Amino acid sequence: MSLLAITEITKEYDGIRALDRVSLKVEEGSIKGLIGPNGAGKSTLFHLISGVEKPESGKIYFKERDITHMESHERSLLGIGRTFQTVQIWGNMTVVENIMAGMNRRLKGGFFSYGLWLPWIRRSEKETLREAKEILDSLGLLGKWESMASQLPYGKQKLLELGRALAMKPELLLLDEPASGLTFTEIEQLSDRISQIRQEGITVCIVEHHMGMVMEVADEIAVLHNGELIAEGTPEAVKKNPKVMEAYLSRGSGGTRDRR
Amino acid sequence: MSSHSAKGAQREFRRRDLFYLVPLWLVSLIAPDPYLYHKKEFKKKDLFYLGAICLAPLVWSDPHFLHLMVLAGIYAILALGLCLFMGYAGQISLGHAAFFGIGAYTTAILTTRYGFPPFVAFCVSAVTASLFAYFIGRPILKLKGYFLALATLGFGEIFLVIVRESTDLTGGVIGIFGIPWFSAMGFSFDTYLKQYYLAWGVLIGLFIFSKNLVRSKVGRALLAVAASEDAASSVGIDVPKTKLNIFIVGAAFAGLAGSLFACVMSTANPEAFSLGFTILIVMMVILGGTGNIYGPIAGAIFLTWLMDILSKYQEYSLPIYSVILILLLIFFPDGIGTRLNVRLIYLIGYWAKKRKRDEVKP
Repeated sequence: MSLLAITEITKEYDGIRALDRVSLKVEEGSIKGLIGPNGAGKSTLFHLISGVEKPESGKIYFKERDITHMESHERSLLGIGRTFQTVQIWGNMTVVENIMAGMNRRLKGGFFSYGLWLPWIRRSEKETLREAKEILDSLGLLGKWESMASQLPYGKQKLLELGRALAMKPELLLLDEPASGLTFTEIEQLSDRISQIRQEGITVCIVEHHMGMVMEVADEIAVLHNGELIAEGTPEAVKKNPKVMEAYLSRGSGGTRDRR
Repeated sequence: MSSHSAKGAQREFRRRDLFYLVPLWLVSLIAPDPYLYHKKEFKKKDLFYLGAICLAPLVWSDPHFLHLMVLAGIYAILALGLCLFMGYAGQISLGHAAFFGIGAYTTAILTTRYGFPPFVAFCVSAVTASLFAYFIGRPILKLKGYFLALATLGFGEIFLVIVRESTDLTGGVIGIFGIPWFSAMGFSFDTYLKQYYLAWGVLIGLFIFSKNLVRSKVGRALLAVAASEDAASSVGIDVPKTKLNIFIVGAAFAGLAGSLFACVMSTANPEAFSLGFTILIVMMVILGGTGNIYGPIAGAIFLTWLMDILSKYQEYSLPIYSVILILLLIFFPDGIGTRLNVRLIYLIGYWAKKRKRDEVKP
C-alpha cells in the first residue's frame, strides 16, 4: 500500500479550477517529482497535502488514514514535513533554535513542567540541543549555530528550512521548489542530499522547475497541466510523452488561464 | 580620526583604556542583553539584579520610594504577562487591564463580603482571570493584527461598563473599600517594606517561571508562531492552542497583579482599569523592549518613576510625558535596555577593531 494516496481531488479558487480530479500515489521509500508549467496546480496540490488549504472534493489518505479534514499541525504530527516555495524560516530565533523548534513534536511535557524546569526537562532540553547541533553539523551549518537565522544568506536559509523539516523526523517530506535561487554547486549538493534523505527511509515528494535536477533525482514523475494530471511515469517515459512536450511548448495559453 | 591614526598605531596599553573600561563594565551590568534569544540561560548578571532588588530598600528606605517600587513591581508582573503574549507570541492585546481588574475585584469581593483570607483570594484571582481569558480567547484569538487589537480593546471597554453598572456586585463607580492587607500563614504584610518584598518576591517567582518558558520548547513555539504561522504548523506546533495558552498565562499574571494591587491600595475602583492604564502597560512592554524578558521590568520601573516625577508639574505633566515617550520611541525603537546594549556592543567592537585598522593603514 502506498504511503500517500490522493483520489479525485478538486480545488477551486473563485470558480477557477486549480486542480481537477487529480489522483496520485506516492510509494513508500520513493522520490516523486511533480512538474508542470507555471500555474499548473503543483503548489496547490502541496498545500492540500500539508493542510494549508482544504479541497472541494476528493480524499487524501496518508498511511491508509483519511487526513482530508485534518488541521495542518495534526498532519505534521502524523509525519508529513514540508518546506515552502518562499523561504519560511523563523528569523527571530537563532539557527540552532530553528532546528530545535522543528523537533518540538517529539518533545513531551506541558506548560507547567517547562515553567518549573523539572529535572527531566533539563535533561531533555540538553539532549535536544545536542541532537540539533548534530543535524546542523550534517548540513554544514554548525559554524553559524548561534547567529540569528535571518542573518544567513539565502542558500543557507533554504538549507536550514530543509534541516528543520528533517529535524521533525518526517515519513513524507514535501519539498516545494528546493532548488530555486540556488547556485549550480548548491543544486548539486542538494540533489546528493535528497538521495541521502531517501536512504534514511524518508519518502520525498518534490516540486521543481529545474528539470535537470528532478530528472536526475526522482524515481517517478507526475506532470500537471492546467490542473489536470497529464502524464505519470519514469523520467525517461515522461520526457518522451507527446502530451508533456505540447504542454511545455504551449505554455502561454495554459499559463494565462490558470494564473488570472 | 584619520589624523589620529596617521601618527601611527599605539599598540601598548594606555591608561585611558582603563578609564573607559570601568563605566563600560558598569553599564554592561545594568543593561539587559539585547538578543536574549542567544543567551537565555540564567547568568551571573541575574544574581546581580537579584542582589540589587533585595538590598535597594535597605539602602534607600524612604517610604515614598518603597511605595513607588511596590507599584512598579505590580505593574511589572502585569507587563511581564503581556510581554509573553506581545513580545514573544507576536499578538496584540489592548484589553489586559481588564484581567488586572478581574483579579482586583475577585480579591475585593472575596475578602470583604465573604471573609476569605487574602492568600486564598490571591490564588482564586489568578484562576478567575485565566478562566475569563479562556472563554474570551477561544473566539477572539482567531483574529489577527488590528482586528485582534480592536477585539481586545472592546473586551476591556465592556468590562469597564459592566463594572460601572453592576452596582450590587462591584460597588459601581465608587468601588470597594477596606480590603485587608495581604497575609499568608499569619504573617501580615502591613508596612511598605514588607509589601515591597511581597510584590518583588512574586515578580521574581513569575519571572523565573517565564524565563523557563521562554528558554524551552514553549518559548520556541511562541517565537515560531510570531514569525510564521504556516511554518509553525508545518512542524506540528498547534498555533491556536499556543496562542490561547500564552494568553491564559498572561491573564493569570494579570490576575495575580490585580489581587496584589487591591491588597496594597485597599480599594478597587473602575478608574484604575481604564484604557489609559492598558496603554501604560503596553508602553512598559514596548519601552522595555519587546522580545526581551527583562524589558517589561525596566519599563515598569522607568514609567512609574517618570509619572511620579512629572506629577509635580501638575497640568503640564501629560504633555511632557507624551513628548518624552515620543522621543524615546524615536531614539530607542527596540526598547531602552536593548538599544543601550546594542550601542555598547557596537562601541566595544569599534574600539577593538580600531587598533587593527590603524595597524593596517600605514
